[in-house]
Amino acid sequence: MISRRNALLSSGCGFGYLAFSALATQAANREQQNPLLTREPHFPASAKRVIFLCMRGGPSHVDTFDYKPELAKYDGKAPGKAAEGLNVQKGRKLKKSAWKFPKCGESGLPISTLYPELSRHADDLCLLNGSYTDIPNHPQALVQLHTGSFQFVRPSVGAWVLYGLGTDNQNLPGFITVKPPARLGGAQNYGSAFLPAVYQGTAIQDVRADAPIGNLRNSHFTGELQRKQLDLLQSMNRASVDRNPANSELEGVIESYELGYRMQSAVPEVMDLAGESTDTLQNYGIGESRTDDFGRQCLMARRFAEAGVRFIELTHEGWDQHNNLNAKLTSNCLATDKPIAGLISDLKQRDLLKDTLIIWSGEFGRTPAVRRDDGRDHNSTGYTVWMCGGGVKGGMRYGATDEFGIAAVEDTMHVHDLHATTLHLLGLDHKKLTYRYAGRDFRLTDVYGRVASEIIA
Amino acid sequence: MRSAYVILTLILQSASGLSVLADDREQATFFENKIRPILVSECYECHSASSKSVKGGLLIDTREGIRRGGESGHGVVPGEVGDSLIIDAMQHEGLDMPPEKKLSDQVIKDFKRWIQMGAYDPRDGKSALIRSEIDMSQAREFWSFRPIADVLVPRVQDSGWVKSDIDRFVSARLASKTLTPVADADSKILVRRIYFDLVGLPPTPVEVDRFSEAMQQDPDAAIAEVVDRLLESDQFGERWGRHWLDVVRYAESTGMERNGTFTSAWRYRDYVIESFNRDTPYDAFIREQISGDLLDFQTNQQRDRQLIATGMLALGPKSLNESKKEKFLMDVVDEQIDVVSRSFLGVTASCARCHDHKFDPIPQSEYYALAGIFTSTRTMYGTSKTNGNRNPGQLLSINGNEVRPVAVSGGAAGTAEEKRYQTQLKKLNRKLASYEKQAKNTQSETAKRAAEKRVQNAKDDVRRVRNRLRQVTQPSSNPGQGSVLVMAVGEAGNAKNTRLRIRGEPSEYGPEIARGFLTIGSDAGTAGVNIDGSGRLELAEWIARPEHPLTARVAVNRIWQHLFGRGIVSTVNNFGVNGTRPTHPMLLDYLATRFVEDGWSVKSIIRRIMLSRVYRLSSQAQSDQLAGDPDNLLLWRMSQRRLEGEAIRDAMLAVSGQLIMEPRTGSPVQKLGEGLVGRNIEVDVLQKDDRLRSVYLPIVRGAVPEMLALFDFPEPSIVGGVRNVTTVPTQALFMMNSPVVLELSKHFANRLVASETGGAERVKLAYRLALSRVPTSQETKRALEFVEDTQRTLQEGDKMDAKASEAVAWIGICQSLFASTEFRYIN
Repeated sequence: MISRRNALLSSGCGFGYLAFSALATQAANREQQNPLLTREPHFPASAKRVIFLCMRGGPSHVDTFDYKPELAKYDGKAPGKAAEGLNVQKGRKLKKSAWKFPKCGESGLPISTLYPELSRHADDLCLLNGSYTDIPNHPQALVQLHTGSFQFVRPSVGAWVLYGLGTDNQNLPGFITVKPPARLGGAQNYGSAFLPAVYQGTAIQDVRADAPIGNLRNSHFTGELQRKQLDLLQSMNRASVDRNPANSELEGVIESYELGYRMQSAVPEVMDLAGESTDTLQNYGIGESRTDDFGRQCLMARRFAEAGVRFIELTHEGWDQHNNLNAKLTSNCLATDKPIAGLISDLKQRDLLKDTLIIWSGEFGRTPAVRRDDGRDHNSTGYTVWMCGGGVKGGMRYGATDEFGIAAVEDTMHVHDLHATTLHLLGLDHKKLTYRYAGRDFRLTDVYGRVASEIIA
Repeated sequence: MRSAYVILTLILQSASGLSVLADDREQATFFENKIRPILVSECYECHSASSKSVKGGLLIDTREGIRRGGESGHGVVPGEVGDSLIIDAMQHEGLDMPPEKKLSDQVIKDFKRWIQMGAYDPRDGKSALIRSEIDMSQAREFWSFRPIADVLVPRVQDSGWVKSDIDRFVSARLASKTLTPVADADSKILVRRIYFDLVGLPPTPVEVDRFSEAMQQDPDAAIAEVVDRLLESDQFGERWGRHWLDVVRYAESTGMERNGTFTSAWRYRDYVIESFNRDTPYDAFIREQISGDLLDFQTNQQRDRQLIATGMLALGPKSLNESKKEKFLMDVVDEQIDVVSRSFLGVTASCARCHDHKFDPIPQSEYYALAGIFTSTRTMYGTSKTNGNRNPGQLLSINGNEVRPVAVSGGAAGTAEEKRYQTQLKKLNRKLASYEKQAKNTQSETAKRAAEKRVQNAKDDVRRVRNRLRQVTQPSSNPGQGSVLVMAVGEAGNAKNTRLRIRGEPSEYGPEIARGFLTIGSDAGTAGVNIDGSGRLELAEWIARPEHPLTARVAVNRIWQHLFGRGIVSTVNNFGVNGTRPTHPMLLDYLATRFVEDGWSVKSIIRRIMLSRVYRLSSQAQSDQLAGDPDNLLLWRMSQRRLEGEAIRDAMLAVSGQLIMEPRTGSPVQKLGEGLVGRNIEVDVLQKDDRLRSVYLPIVRGAVPEMLALFDFPEPSIVGGVRNVTTVPTQALFMMNSPVVLELSKHFANRLVASETGGAERVKLAYRLALSRVPTSQETKRALEFVEDTQRTLQEGDKMDAKASEAVAWIGICQSLFASTEFRYIN
């Protein structure tokens, strides 16, 4: 097949200058046209990609990653004066954690017994114990976690990252979100808002190799036949370009068909777990009923990461334990513990953990105060996010809540700070990653954000 | 440094009778005895945070405030009596302060002395009003804020080429860069361009032939005929209405964290389409949308139209779950200011919510002057009090002569019956979910069938109870039979000014700001306006004035953009300092002037532009011009343009013979009813494709129809105006594999097979239908080879019979035509 470039150079039909200028501008045009091509970060980055584990509902931090020995003393009691000025309803009684917090790893990081597998990786985890957000309501907090703002429709963090860095594998979407919730902001959580639509996340509703995503299969034309049809189409497209070679945007369309054609096989391939060893599957808990679903998600995340997807989000629902805390938190942790531990081991084994940033976060945490004996309410003033890999220090507790776990009081990290730090690890200056819209430059972090440089290895 | 200088100055001046008070304590005493009492008694009434209405943007109740000054300049410049406006004002030199009486000479002398000593001022603290580095008289010199000029049409040489004054402007600019325009487009390309530009559909082969013949006779008449005919067709409004719907962020749900449906938004959509079709004068279009509820009317029908028009202000995104009422209100107001200022004026007034506009001459106080208008407005956007909706709104119920706001659901408490149904529904939904899980996990065929049956029954139960619930949650103030519900705005009842919010925080109050408009865009020297009611009526009048420097310019620029692919000002929503400068400033003013003269007729200005020579030019590039002006900023040719998703879809429907040309009545969202998307409204339903024109597809925030979303449909939560053009593989995959495209290709193929028997004839018809031209012999040959090849492959490999394989092969041809760049672009 003769490429347009060669055709132009060899045709000698009096388009000498044009051919030259078209070629000269081709690179620039392609840049404009395929805004997903890899771009250099602002400064050398420790992380190349992100796997964001979204624990939807607000996991209880005092029962998982924020060890509060003082809480036991106040079990069943109102904290009274001790909690003055803190965000706790008067008279509400505190509840100690039902789980022990053994010292884990060489670092001795206290992690609750709900996470036996994950705690083996304690020396790789950085617990951000001083995290906080603005609103203790699911809808606002979830949207803010994803976009920095619940007040206005803004691009999600994944879209910003894709805008800043492009993506390495043009045969796959650059930003993939698995099983995103349809409500609580819905598509806004992976939307591109005012950024061009190419930066929005691709939602995958199922974790099967044959999951129905975005027009990958054709009911009439498959295999050889589809290639023939594509050749016919491309011959039409080339004719259009040749008739008017200055309109190089059309080159981009031709390329997009070839990319699309390759995506048809690349996406199902990367989603097909058939080639994975039994050991690997077991490490993720795939095949065990409790861990199978999230295990598959985590394994798929590794496959996406390996294949060059820039931003991957997984969602695990159901952390809103106003009641049945004991049973439900246990089952949630069980469902995610092994899969996440499996993911970390696997990435480490493949030497991918060093440049893959894993972020684990809910939209907020839960109150140390009890609700009806066996529940906890929303707590936005203090909770825990953790990071792992991607150039983050391991075995570290950064920041702290007060003695009860109510409010972040030390080295606090607002959602904006989390975003600023995430971008920083990816080599992006959150103050420079801007997009001109409505007459001014917008940022993911608005006018806020502090990079927690203390946690960077 | 400075104080040393001041003291030195003072020492030097002491000879002329001024004594030196170097000591801090003495300075403090002087301030407390001579200065503060005067400020408090004579100035604070109008220039402090506690003033009822702050004048001149000046607050002098803090050191920061008095030094920063107000609209006219710095109040006090330490050490510089001449630069301190407060002295001018006290001496009644230009500014007369206090207005009624002149202060005694002794007081003025004290103030002078105080300033000379360095204006000692212990009044710490932030001044509420962030003002004002803005020099309004200088700001008025910016090109877009200057009055629209009645420009002279340039004289140009080539009178044969020139078809209208527009051409003279373009030609003069080209000549100045020694560029020559390319030749006219071929008639087949031109007619396709005209059709897509005016109605968003391709011409039929018959129309192409007729036009080509007419062009041979008299090109000017041929173009005029087709332009006039299409301007009068109903499809014109469907095409151009959509352009406006982009601008006003039209959508049928609230978006945000709880995505509540707007079941009546479609009426506004229809209003817009109709307005373009009936060529409502643009100034009236402005008045109707901002203040339709306050306008006179002759008939109820006219009244209804005008009320529906105000839906523009009601259908913005809303944060329904917001728990703070004041914040919710101020967010709604902010969104209204944003849409009004950017759509009509091309300025980003909402940037001044928290501080003065960083780039444009819009002080924060003027934002709150506008905000007072909208806080005095009642916004009726509907949505019912469902789970998580803390801010249900009303709708306007119209029934004959009766017009009144109604609640959309039974109100806060809810009846016992309603609660019973809600509990039932919850239980049934849980049951359904568990059945669905069972059905999914069952292995054996029979068990699966039984499980599916159970699922079906449970679904029926859910539907039944949901219907009952809907019946009992009819509005408490029931709109009654025959009522029409509309989204609209009305007067809030007690119209009043609002107070500035410090840093934009809804509950941090600064001074009260008198309702009013922007200084930019007002005639110099007009102090303020008399406002009755909310002020929307006056606001609309202010915007729709022919003399407004922005309104007509912004409007004609939008129109130009849709015909040339780029506006004369490419940032169509931003005519401010950060916007781009016009490529043809004189032409812009010429068009704006004609637009107003033609009675703000959108159709007339479109016609003027389309009958010009420059509109007729080919998109063919030539190397000389390409070198001189690679981006075609000076319009030496027509720019090639990617069609919008709507036009590509509509064209596929038209070519395959499947397009239903009738407008939709209502919207699928109306049928789904009140609810929250993703909670009790399933998104899938909204993705269901139909055969109506794309403008009638449901536009729910976060659930835009797939094809439109893929082809850069603008985010409907924010003000649009320029669509992105991206080229990505997901678009390619859609054209290659989507069931919709395949289905339409099949219909297209059937049409070919039914009409023609010969292969070459079919190819010819296919090209004529899809691309408005005949294929070259090379193209015909290539297509026939594909048909043959495909048939052979299918017959040999898949053992398909001749007829079936033929059908598939022609589907392949048709689909390739749909997917081709020539189909997706207009030349």
